[in-house]
Amino acid sequence: MEKPAAIPEYPRTYPKPDKFDVVNHSREKLDGMGLVTGTRKFVADFDLPNMIHVKMLGSPHAHARIISIDTEEAMKMPGVVGIYTSKDVPRVAHTTAGQGYPEPSPYDTFMLDTKVRFIGDRVAIVAAETPEAAIAACRKIKVQYEVLPAVFSIEQAMAEGAPVIHDESDCSVPIPIHFDPKRNHCAHMETKVGDVEKGYKEADVVLEKTYHSHYAQHCPIEPHTCACYLDEDDRVVLISSTQVPFHARRITAQVLQIPIKRIRVIKPRIGGGFGTKQEVLLEDVCAFVTMKTRRPCRWELTRAEEFMSARTRHPMSVTIKMGVKKNGKITAMSMKVLSNTGAYGSHALTVMSNCGSKVLPLYKCENVEFIGDTYYTNLPVAGAYRGYGATQAAFGAEAHMDELASAIKMDALKFRAMNHIKVGETSPIFQALGEGRAGVSMVIQSCGLAECIEIGRKEIGWNEKRGKPGTGIKRRGIGMCMLMQGSSIPEIDMGSVFIKMNEDGSFNMLLGATDLGTGSDTILAQIAAETLGCDHSDMLVYSSDTDFTPFDTGAYASSTTYLSGGAVINAATKVREQILAVASMMLGEKPEQLTIENKTILGKNKKNKITFSQICKYAMYEVNQFQIGAIGSHVTHASPPPFSAHFAEVEVDIETGELKVIKYVAAVDCGTAINPQLADGQTQGGLLNGIGYATTEEYHFDKSGRMLNPSFKHYKIFGANDIPEIKTFLVPTYEPTGPYGAKSVSEICINGALPAIGNAIKDAVGVRICEGPFTAERILKAIREAGKIGKD
Amino acid sequence: MLAHVARFYHPTTVEEACSLLAAKDHKNVALAGGTHLAVVEDSGIEGLVDLKGLKLTHQRRENGRITIGAMNPVEDLKTSTLLSGPGGNLLRLSAAAIGSTPLRHAITVGGNLVAAFPWSDLPPALLALDTEVVLRRGKEERVLPIGKLYETRPTDVIKADELVTEIRVSEFATSTGTAFQKVARTKNDYALITVAVRLTLKDGLISEARVALNGLTRRPCRITSVETFLTGKKCDKDIFREAAKKAGDGIELTSDFRASREYREEVLPVYIRRCLEEAAANVSK
Amino acid sequence: MKLNITLNGAKKSLEIAPNAYLLDVLRDLAGMKSVKRGCGEGTCGACAVLIDGRLRNSCITFAAHCEGATVLTVEGIGSHEHPHILQKAFVNHGATQCGYCNPGSLLAAKALLDRNPDPTMDQVKEALDGNLCRCTGYVKRIDAVLDAAKEMKSSREEKR
Repeated sequence: MEKPAAIPEYPRTYPKPDKFDVVNHSREKLDGMGLVTGTRKFVADFDLPNMIHVKMLGSPHAHARIISIDTEEAMKMPGVVGIYTSKDVPRVAHTTAGQGYPEPSPYDTFMLDTKVRFIGDRVAIVAAETPEAAIAACRKIKVQYEVLPAVFSIEQAMAEGAPVIHDESDCSVPIPIHFDPKRNHCAHMETKVGDVEKGYKEADVVLEKTYHSHYAQHCPIEPHTCACYLDEDDRVVLISSTQVPFHARRITAQVLQIPIKRIRVIKPRIGGGFGTKQEVLLEDVCAFVTMKTRRPCRWELTRAEEFMSARTRHPMSVTIKMGVKKNGKITAMSMKVLSNTGAYGSHALTVMSNCGSKVLPLYKCENVEFIGDTYYTNLPVAGAYRGYGATQAAFGAEAHMDELASAIKMDALKFRAMNHIKVGETSPIFQALGEGRAGVSMVIQSCGLAECIEIGRKEIGWNEKRGKPGTGIKRRGIGMCMLMQGSSIPEIDMGSVFIKMNEDGSFNMLLGATDLGTGSDTILAQIAAETLGCDHSDMLVYSSDTDFTPFDTGAYASSTTYLSGGAVINAATKVREQILAVASMMLGEKPEQLTIENKTILGKNKKNKITFSQICKYAMYEVNQFQIGAIGSHVTHASPPPFSAHFAEVEVDIETGELKVIKYVAAVDCGTAINPQLADGQTQGGLLNGIGYATTEEYHFDKSGRMLNPSFKHYKIFGANDIPEIKTFLVPTYEPTGPYGAKSVSEICINGALPAIGNAIKDAVGVRICEGPFTAERILKAIREAGKIGKD
Repeated sequence: MLAHVARFYHPTTVEEACSLLAAKDHKNVALAGGTHLAVVEDSGIEGLVDLKGLKLTHQRRENGRITIGAMNPVEDLKTSTLLSGPGGNLLRLSAAAIGSTPLRHAITVGGNLVAAFPWSDLPPALLALDTEVVLRRGKEERVLPIGKLYETRPTDVIKADELVTEIRVSEFATSTGTAFQKVARTKNDYALITVAVRLTLKDGLISEARVALNGLTRRPCRITSVETFLTGKKCDKDIFREAAKKAGDGIELTSDFRASREYREEVLPVYIRRCLEEAAANVSK
Repeated sequence: MKLNITLNGAKKSLEIAPNAYLLDVLRDLAGMKSVKRGCGEGTCGACAVLIDGRLRNSCITFAAHCEGATVLTVEGIGSHEHPHILQKAFVNHGATQCGYCNPGSLLAAKALLDRNPDPTMDQVKEALDGNLCRCTGYVKRIDAVLDAAKEMKSSREEKR
């Protein structure tokens, strides 16, 4: 059937204008002054009258059945308002993953359950007058557990007769994907292109290695926080630090079995997310407490809870096998992923499949194979984390590229340059691996990798320094890697925006898209201003509020600029047409003869002039009155990869194993950088997060599965005086499917540090370390085992 | 969380503070920088005695001796222009190694010395400098060598109503070299190894060697085996190498998630050797 | 008990609990919402304020300890209408992303420039070492502080 006229059709490409007036300029961040003066509000800054505080009693056991909960004594504690256990709440299987509906994650989570599956898992909700009173009451709750044998590794989870973590009968998957909880097998995905076996036979060298990536946390400086109140109409209003307000509304309604229309989610300023706030972790509980007590409430995770019971990066073992001919041609590649999702399957399938879809297409190869399996364990729950599987897979793939280059005695840069995907080329993987369903095939229309490599080569001094570690106690090494990511989830995610004009020629722009600190409000304002012919400061941006802003899937999957930016152009184009139509009536000239310059409409030969303000007043008060305004939506049909080359220079102390990252260079092709300063900021922040992951950040567990270091005292993220010299470069290309040529920039930058630094360590001391982070102890051990350098 | 703290005192004299700490009817504890006290869970503590008003923030240099009030924030040691000589340098370096800027503004000399966590950076430097610790209990004063405090826990030696009021060290203005090394994953991480070294020479030979550690032992300590070996010897690379090999003698190294015992055992001699070489290289004339 | 402080230039007398932390007093009793809670254990610097000119983490500072002290939060250094040079520099350099750590970092920078108007890059890095930021990678923040120092220096010279 033909598409009905009411269903919008949007452009698939955006032609390149002759020049940019607003876009591609580093305009001031719209909320910048509000943030530096402390006036912009975060969730915890909303004082709600008569507010109570929520705390969750967390499980002390990694795996146990709750036999009974005695709350009598706890209820008598001063200040306690209510204590709720699984008996008091609806039992609805759901996923906390804030993904498009129906989600490609299993419904294996309950608001409160009679079983606990990791240390810190929800046991009972306490609401009290102060946070301290709630904590004190938590301690008085008497819980009788039947402790069950627990599973702390993928190997244990896979073993025959392993304890079953999800033995409940009511867990399921909402879409037809592999799910076998009785074997702790949370997700599976495989695909094959060409003939891999034949490819390996043709190869001169075949190498296979397994690379292990570790647990890590996002560490937004603002912990997850949610507040809730009942409005004048008895509706539930949630103020939440969420990347996904619309998914939060939908999932909260699902969990509490109340209509979506009874819930409003407000997203104020957010103190960073990086994926961990793509989860609905607090909203259901806050809404429940407020509905029960009829009082406003707030729940703020402590830093320890943020580490133990929010979300983490999926630890993985990625086995990579590649065949290569002496001339550098890659004949076959296989990637086998074993992913640990922890106690619940949030993003279990898609993070794993992203290992293939965001890494394998980077290099041309006719014979490709991907097999991924995700298992449950009784460890902290993994979820979305910037990079989303590409981080883990790129570590292996890019280490492997260096190993192969060295096996065929080819320069690692040359080997990559000859094999990487280029404009006009495609990869069968794009179609083969999607998010819970088949992907979308696409041809690469923009790729700045060659320039990225060239810039990095010069900046790091590749030709002069590579392969020259020196002979002293401190050895220098140079390493690099290449990266790609995607931009949005094509044909799945949708963004929309509403723009309306005001009498002074300013516009309200109501965005479903969720600025969580990235500056997307500003970027989207620049896109709108470019289209409308005004300044970005003329856009009064509001994001997001499920009552007032139109739908957007949310801030994830590197989508906001590319996807929601398209929605902005689509809306602004309609508004522009309306402005020109009114101007044409006022000036008595044809709309196509009119041009817009800086909020002024110019007639033919620029004789007649009329301002935005005059136009809006005319439309509001004079003839044929109407509100100049429009809604625009967008769905993408491609997920064009941004590309990047990262280079690291390191120094390794061969007597102690101490590693120092001396210099780090990243050149990134994100298409048109809508706001170069903000794009650069994303790159610098992401790469430093990556360097932390590669060198210091890791979870340590004791034998019972308890995290030993849930604190910034012991889980070390980089401070200002730990940073190496950082150089970042934006390599402009024009992506025709993106708004003003833009692609994504936010995630790609985090993936490079593990492989680039790993490759630099290899260059410095000749050892390949296949497990992060690269601590002094691990490096020294590898040096000793390789017997490369003599002992003191 | 100190849930039961119902009193907060602002004494202005040592005597007043000590008498508050001696209170029998409820448990008062001394508050210096508070970086530890503020995050402990202790429902037994009922009153806090703030030492801020005692004005123990003096720094003096007289006749080659340095006197430092216990309530100096360690940041003020780090930035002190008064501390000089090999002794003063070692104090400044060890103070600079502590935590982050806001923590250095809070942490006090007395607090770091008394708390003496495995990761405290000041104690090994104080041990290497043969520091004297001045304690006051009302008007009563006693002076203890720093080592005495670390034979067991400082709180076993210091009475509940007794306060560290100042420390005294020598500048070691002549014939001495010092070195300090903190090993940690990031600059403001807790140390997995801290080494402080002092070499004092006489007639070209080492007359006094101090090699003090923290971070990998339960308490700050000196390695007397290394010190004894060095005494009477020349400053020489081979001798230092030999000395460093004795690093593990008689001390029990700890293991934790920062590093295993095996790793610490392997690299400790390296850091000691390097500190000895550095100290020897900067011996003052 | 009563707490008497000079907060952002104004004398305040607040009724506090003896075990109250300065962070909670500033946020809940004095309305200074710029002071953020990031870790609650003195390691992230989001709650850092200046107490008698010293940078301290208010989440681990007992409020009563500040009796008689001068306390400065970001509300006290500049506003939309009259921003401090450092605040403008943070915005101009893109040193603000999510902004949650900005108030603490700005005070760290201010404390540095008050003491040392002409810092080196290493001194800036060290002065900001207690203010964790997960968004920016610190580069733009360090540039912003160095630039603000330059601007403050030239405006001082103009005044002469």
